[in-house]
This record gives sequence, structure tokens and C-alpha cells, in this order.
Amino acid sequence: MIRHIFTLIWNRKRSNFLLIAEILLSFFVLFVVSVLLVSNYYNYRQPMGFESANVWEFDVTPNQDTTDRKGTLRLLIQELQATPGVVAVTHTSHNTPFSFSNMNTDQYHYKDKQAPLTERYDADDDMMRVLKFNLVAGRWFDRRDDGVAHQPVVVNQKFAEAMFGEESPVGKILTDPKQPDTWQVVGVIDAYRSGSDFAANEPAIFHRRVLQSTKIDSREYPMLLVRVAEGSGAVLEQQLVKKINRVTKGWNANVNTLEENRHDKMKFMLTPLVALGLVALFLIINVALGLFGVLWFNINQRKSEIGLRRALGATGNGISGQFLGEMLVVTTLGVIGGLALAVQFPLLGVFGLAPQVYGAAMVLATVLIFVLTAICALQPSRIAAAIQPAVSLREE
Amino acid sequence: MTSTTAQSSSVASAEIGVATAPATAMIRLADIEKVYQTKTIETVALNRVNLTINKGEFVSIMGPSGCGKSTLLSIMGLLDEPSSGLVEIAGRPVTSYSDKELAGLRNQKIGFVFQSYHLINDLSVLDNVELPLLYRSSVSGKERRQRAHAALDKVGLSARTNHFPSQLSGGQRQRVAIARALAGNPELILADEPTGNLDSVMGEEIMDLLLGLNRNDGVTIVMVTHDEQQAQKTERVIRFFDGSQVS
Repeated sequence: MIRHIFTLIWNRKRSNFLLIAEILLSFFVLFVVSVLLVSNYYNYRQPMGFESANVWEFDVTPNQDTTDRKGTLRLLIQELQATPGVVAVTHTSHNTPFSFSNMNTDQYHYKDKQAPLTERYDADDDMMRVLKFNLVAGRWFDRRDDGVAHQPVVVNQKFAEAMFGEESPVGKILTDPKQPDTWQVVGVIDAYRSGSDFAANEPAIFHRRVLQSTKIDSREYPMLLVRVAEGSGAVLEQQLVKKINRVTKGWNANVNTLEENRHDKMKFMLTPLVALGLVALFLIINVALGLFGVLWFNINQRKSEIGLRRALGATGNGISGQFLGEMLVVTTLGVIGGLALAVQFPLLGVFGLAPQVYGAAMVLATVLIFVLTAICALQPSRIAAAIQPAVSLREE
Repeated sequence: MTSTTAQSSSVASAEIGVATAPATAMIRLADIEKVYQTKTIETVALNRVNLTINKGEFVSIMGPSGCGKSTLLSIMGLLDEPSSGLVEIAGRPVTSYSDKELAGLRNQKIGFVFQSYHLINDLSVLDNVELPLLYRSSVSGKERRQRAHAALDKVGLSARTNHFPSQLSGGQRQRVAIARALAGNPELILADEPTGNLDSVMGEEIMDLLLGLNRNDGVTIVMVTHDEQQAQKTERVIRFFDGSQVS
């Protein structure tokens, strides 16, 4: 029977061509959507590389106050650290976790190798205690880094693998051919996905930021991250805001928890995904209705054939199975064409995603398209099975 | 050829799992009624028909259009159910048969020839003839081909196996339809106006073919026809009028 179905499909190749093309395009749309879904899910499952719970972010703005900002900030950090309930305080650049800003560069070189595009962060000696990174080699910044010849940096494993391969990254010197600065790797953390829950673990590098040497002008305002004791709430927040108001003269401070920022960023990231998903769903519903209509029409056109097959010994279920089988063969041909296109993505390295993401997306899209066509074919096939042979044989 | 038919019958019975009772009647209809009911009107297509077709007979059924000939043939071919009455095929009452059992019986025992041929245009002549064997799981692909070739040879179309129906004349198409009926080695052929769409010469050819099958191979044939001359060539003519048998 399978050979018979293939013969029928082949002999009806002209009328099946558009159907196969429709399935191929639907598969491709499903594949692209699946790539997005799978890559986001794949990223979501990866470790963040830091702990965002119980960390508050203070966006501090000096406004018109230009007198000794560094001294004021140093005093503010000391005051905040001394507050009961505060575990650690770090000051950093504006690309804090889940923020909408980022800095990236590919300036670093090791021997003749240039770094891939790398996320750059500024971090002081206390950031490790605030964000609780998972250090896998070397150490975090400390006083040993004062006055050293090469500026100390901490990198993530992704950066280390890209630059040093199998070699141990700790102690390696990074250079920039365009400027005299050099950097020495003092430690390696496992990962740092600060963009969002769906962000990939991109290569990352942390530069040591020391308050004494930090320039704070009107374009660069400090961001403070404060780790507080578990269970701390509005009372502590009030205390900290009061301290900021007391220590500084008219500085503004906006407070958010990193968890709030995480939630906001997730919504921001999910919105286009959901929109794309809805567009894809709309397309798929259209495709499904199209397939349903084509099959319905097909069955009406073939009523006489159905009657003949019943007369020759086909059961109702046999007729239903044949129509389902024909649809699955047509779908298989469309999917084969779609897979031939889809496999170009990992081969050509489009989007730079891991091959397993494409593989999983191909499997997902294949399953979805077969389920879709099976659902669309089911009802028309049942109708075909219920056709009375005596009636349909009278139809020309 | 008779022995081949008997062998086929016993295989068929084994396949559908029903014991064959010895009987000379190929078809027995008792008190058959067929009523088409709509919301406003009730149409009696067959009115208490009692009829027996014996094995090896060639019977023609005649009557004006709308008298119930085709309905009767559909009931004999197990393609339609009577509103009441008893249908027996080769001694077996089929009233309580399931869809699967009826399909098996049609496949094993009955061959159909239609006025409009009912060939599948997208299949070659050979593939069309193979169709009834496709629904027999016991027949291999190789055997299917052999039997289809033999059937086409019998109707004189062995040179046209790879043609498609649209490439054949009306008479050739009807011969393909007869070959398809023969491929299953049926004991009974039900022919619904097999020469109705053909000119007189081709009609004669088809009639001769059917007569040969009946006389030489012992196939029971029931033929609905409007052609008095062709009806007279058969052993028995049954006439219908307004759903009732009149002779």
C-alpha cells in the first residue's frame, strides 16, 4: 500500500507540487521560530554565573553637585557598608545585570590572536561578594593588584577558551596594538549572563575599578550594587535612602532590586518573542486552514474513487488510512525540501548558534509540521471513510 | 478454470473467517425493501423483492430508469443495505456483517463493472487492474503483477499495461475495468450497464467478453442493461417496474 501511495503521489505530482511547496514554506517558518525558541530555552537553562537575589541597585546621580564627588562617593559607600543588614557594596559601571546598556570591544590580543567581541565590565574588589560569582581559576581583585605593571582583569571561561584554548588563562598578558595598555588575567569565573535570562553566555572581561583612580564627571555617574541580608525590605531601603540624602548634598538615588530588573528585562525580551510566536501561529493557522480546505476539496473530487475502492474491498478505516498516508507522504516530501534548506544554517554558521540548537529546532519543526498535517488530514479522512460507496459511485 | 475458482473460494473463506455452506445459489434476496426517506417524502426504491441468482448463471436485469435496478445491484454488491429483508451471498446471510467483513466479502467474491468504467486516471492500466489485489494482504507484490498481467491478457490489452486511462478508447477502458474485476478471481461479476457508454461494435465486444467469462470460466454475472438485444443473449431476463419484479 505504501508503494501504491507513492505511485499516486508521483503520478499526481503536478497537483501535489503546490501542496508540497506550502508544506516546505510552513516547515521553514516553523524552523526559524523553533530556532528562536530553542536558542532562548537553551540559554535559559544555562547558569547565570551570579546571584541576583537580595541585591539592590542604587542609581546615584550627583546632579549639580560638583564638589569632591569621589570623596562623597567613598564616604557614601563606607556609610552603606556600615549599615546593619548590608552584606557588601560594590560600585560599577552602568552595564549592571539586566540593565539596558552594554559595553563591548574586541581590542584585546594574545600573541597574534584577536579577541572576539567581548562584553566589558568595571568591577571593584567587592563585586565578587555582591554578585557571588563562581570563580574557577585564580582569584578576584584585591589589594595585591595595587600598583602592578599590567592592569588586572578577570575573564569568563568563554573568553578564556576563545583566547587561550587549552592553556591556563591565569597570568596571561593581553595587549592592544593600538595603545600601550596591557592587562594580566588574575582570575576566571565560569559564566556571566548579565543581559537577561535569555542572554547567551558571551565572552566577558572585568576591569578593576578603584575609587581613588576613578574619574567621575558629569557623564559618568556611579552605580552601586548592594547585597543585603535575606529578608531585608522596605525598612532597610528607607534607612539606606536616608543615609544617601544625609551624606550627599542633593544627589538623587533610584533604588531597584535586581530581581525587579530581571523581571522587567524578561518581559522586554519576551514581548518580541510572543509577538513573533503570534505571527507564526497566525501563519500556521492559515496554513492549517489551507491544508484542510485542499484536503476537503480533494476528497470531494475523489468521491467516485473512494466509492470504487470501497467496492473493491477497502474498509472505511482503510480509506481513512490511505488519505492520511497520502498526506504524510506529501508532508515528508515537503519536510525533506525544508530540511535541505534548514541544514544550510549550521553549515554556513548563520546566527552563530550551536549546531545542537539547529538540530533540536529541525526535530521540533518536523514534529510540529507532521502533527499539523495529521490534524488537518484527520477530519477530511474521516469524512472520506464515511462516504457511502453506492452514492459516490453514481458521481462522475 | 472451475477448479481455480473453487480454490479461490476456499482461500477467500479462510481469509474472512466464515464457513462456506454448500449451496447452488450465488445470491438470494428475500423480501428486500429499500426506502429512501426524506423529511417530506418517502420513496420506495425496491418493494419486497425475492430473487435467487444461481452459481454460473448470466442474468440480465431490465427496466425503465428509476425502477430500482442500480439500487438492487448495489444491494447485491454489498455496497448498500436494504431497509429490510435478507441478503445471502454464496449461502451466507450478510445482514449482520461488519464493515470489515463486508469489505472482505466484496474483495474476495465480487467483481464490479460500471457503465462509466470508474478507472483511476492517475494510475496506469496495470496499477488499475491491481487495485482489488491491493486489499488482500495475502497477495505479494509479485503475484499482484502476475495476476494483473494475466487479466489484461485475457481481455486483449497486454500491450497497454503502461498506458493511462486517458490514452485509451471507451471500449478499451471498459476492458480494463473487466480485467480489474477478473484480477480478483471473483465468483460473481456485477455489471451496471457495461455497454451503456459504448457504440454498438464495442458494446458487442464487451458483451462477447462477458459471455466468454460466464461460459468458459463459470463466473456468475448479473448485468443491468437497457439493451434488449444484449439482454436476450443472457440466460435469464428479470424485469423491474417501480421497484417491483414484474417477470
